[in-house]
Amino acid sequence: MSGLRSFVARRLILGAVQTAAVVLLVFALTEALPGDAAVALAGDQPDPARVAAIREAMHLDRPAHERLADWAAGLLHGDLGTSLASGRPVVRYLADGFGPTLLLAALTVALLVPAGFGLGVLAARREGGPVDRLISSVTLAVYAVPEFALGVLLVTVFALRLGWLPPTAVGYGTDLPGHPAVLVLPVLVLLARPVCSLVRLVRAGMIDALASPYVAQARRYGVSGARVRYTHALPGALAPAVQQLARTVDWLLCGVIVVEALYVIPGLGTVLLNAVAERDVPVVQGLAVVFGVLTVVLTLAADLVAHRLAPRAGVAA
Amino acid sequence: MTHESGTAGRTGTTAAPVAEIRELRVEVDGRAIVDGVSLTVVPGKVTALVGASGSGKTTTGLALLGEHPPGARVSGEIRRTAEGPIGYIPQHPAAVLNPARRISALLTDIARTQVRHLPRGRRRAAARDRVLTALAEAQLPDAESLLRRYPHQLSGGQQQRVVLAQALLLGARVIVADEPTTGQDALTKSRIVDQLRAVTARGIAVVLLSHDLEAVRALADEVVVLRAGRVVESGPAQRLWAAPRHEWTRRLLDAGRDLTAPVGATGGTRPVLRIRDLTARHRDGARGGTVVLRAPALDLHPGECLAVVGRSGSGKTTLARCLAGLHRDHDGEVLLDGVPLPRSLRHRGRAQLAAVQYVFQDARAAFDHHRPVLHQVARTAIRLRGAAPGPATREALTTLARLGLPEDLAGRRPGQLSGGELQRAALARALLARPRVLLCDEITSGLDTVTRRGLLDVLRALLRDRGDLSLVLITHDLDVAALAHRIAVLDGGDVVEQGPARRILAAPDHPFTVALTQAARPQTGAVP
Repeated sequence: MSGLRSFVARRLILGAVQTAAVVLLVFALTEALPGDAAVALAGDQPDPARVAAIREAMHLDRPAHERLADWAAGLLHGDLGTSLASGRPVVRYLADGFGPTLLLAALTVALLVPAGFGLGVLAARREGGPVDRLISSVTLAVYAVPEFALGVLLVTVFALRLGWLPPTAVGYGTDLPGHPAVLVLPVLVLLARPVCSLVRLVRAGMIDALASPYVAQARRYGVSGARVRYTHALPGALAPAVQQLARTVDWLLCGVIVVEALYVIPGLGTVLLNAVAERDVPVVQGLAVVFGVLTVVLTLAADLVAHRLAPRAGVAA
Repeated sequence: MTHESGTAGRTGTTAAPVAEIRELRVEVDGRAIVDGVSLTVVPGKVTALVGASGSGKTTTGLALLGEHPPGARVSGEIRRTAEGPIGYIPQHPAAVLNPARRISALLTDIARTQVRHLPRGRRRAAARDRVLTALAEAQLPDAESLLRRYPHQLSGGQQQRVVLAQALLLGARVIVADEPTTGQDALTKSRIVDQLRAVTARGIAVVLLSHDLEAVRALADEVVVLRAGRVVESGPAQRLWAAPRHEWTRRLLDAGRDLTAPVGATGGTRPVLRIRDLTARHRDGARGGTVVLRAPALDLHPGECLAVVGRSGSGKTTLARCLAGLHRDHDGEVLLDGVPLPRSLRHRGRAQLAAVQYVFQDARAAFDHHRPVLHQVARTAIRLRGAAPGPATREALTTLARLGLPEDLAGRRPGQLSGGELQRAALARALLARPRVLLCDEITSGLDTVTRRGLLDVLRALLRDRGDLSLVLITHDLDVAALAHRIAVLDGGDVVEQGPARRILAAPDHPFTVALTQAARPQTGAVP
């Protein structure tokens, strides 16, 4: 499998280049915006002399390429720099934000995979029947609701009217695992649309696979129903679903800004939002690096799994 | 399991039938696909269902397995007197092999059900033993490494043998083999015939569904001739070959026996197409690609018919694709009237495109399914010769009629025409470009004998009537090659022999050509 190995190497090199390009683009765009960290820090007293003083203290008066070069040199040693707004290391920001984000993502995926595949297979088995029609129409309807609308709706019903669950995570800090009730609504909102797209993909793939001659042959030769479904039909139906799953995990890890903002969860999305507001360029760049690497790795993993599931298609870089 | 079926076969010489069909009628949407078919399946014997495509062979074969087309109304009796399942080898074995799983997957699942009586710890090894035995019985060497491969990593022949191994592992008492030899070259055909003979020697009954009369002749003990879902004639093979009672059987047999003689001879004129130092490669990840074809020199004269013969994978189609500008990755030159043709179709002018036309093996895939055939045929004249729509349609109609497609058929969409009819339409479409060279890539394989003969007659008429048209026949079928004036034999990408057809067929030089002609001969020689 040297072909596969060289494919992985090529993709990793390409991924590094892509991540560098993202970082450059983010840096250029933040530079292009009017105002900078000094203006944001000066806050209520935008006295030009004061802004200039802050700028000098933060070395913001140096040319942009020098600042970028410094930051890149630090990155090679694993140093993501320090925040302009608070002076804390960027790594601390990322570490603090990553905990809640990872917790939300893990919970969501843990529920997403069994629900998505289970409902998809069930709908495919009962193709055209009432169960299938129910699953298909409900998934379509839920998929059409945007997450901010669903989030507000759930808060209104379950937190404000019924009072069963806390409306947001305000007051719980980063100790989310200690208060599971806080996580219910955000996880539900995060689940809603990915479950729908996954169910529909798995259903479509399974219907094709169940009608295929190779499944007919397995049935003909006395392999039991569940075994045919899960070990003979499902692998062929999985390849597109796995790609979709990777995109979902990528979305969950790289800042679910709307949901975190709505439920006031101190995850990476919130960190990103604040950093942009404060023109905290090192933090934004640090996030861009992390998101870039995550996306590259997840996409590559999905491609490898898809290759394993559809070996005939070969690999493409 | 397989041992049991082996002993059952040796004791089964009493010839009590293992399965029987009585007055089977299968109706879909009020149309009978199979009507009043009866047949008996005897252990260790080959029962052949013979007929043109669409005669109801596959429907009858699948009925034995208890499977019917969706929405079918079935009457009649299907009786399976012997215990044990029935195996099925479809025409395209790749279709029943799961592309996402290694070939061991289904084999292991079949074996697993047979080792339940063993203690848990020994089941795995016992199942594996059974799988390996079955693969060995299906004449697949190196089974250990084979089990780890995916279906697409096997050759067509290996895929077929894996599917056979599934049936053997299952302990099938009856195996239904659907067109096992169709579209195969002569060497592969004789290997498949030997293989099926070995299966019957184990006492397994084989139901052979085929329109390949050579294979039927070599194998069948009992023959049932089907036409449009009805049994035209049935009986012991020897009797049927010697004295066919029914007109249709006689026609079928004549078509199979027909060895065409070449027509006309070629003048010593300037070649219309010359190939010089052609080396074609396929990109497959390896640096520079793999060389799949080397043709140092090959000439085609006006009015000449050249057959390019070889096994599958020998580079025949690549050669045709290089000539047509469909395969760009090659060195050397293709000269049309002494002028080099650009490598890619895109860089060829209108006249150059019209001069070299291609007819593909799969006619159905070569037509747009949403427009009438007539429009698509006429379009060639409009696009490549700048003809006006009116005259182009008229010319298309006359050409189609001459090739045997009347106006009412020509106006239909491709879905409403049979494979043979579509192939005629594809020929007409190519002819409307008024080509100098017509490339025919396996245009008769996959057609039944009667349709095939019709198409070969069309080609022969073309050669006779269009004096300057040159034909290149890409084929693995030596009967088709006999139509040509000259034959070039390809093996492993090399032109191993070329010369007049008569000489190559009668006295081949190269060992590969000898093997090819000999493989074709025993079966035609076995005509009583």
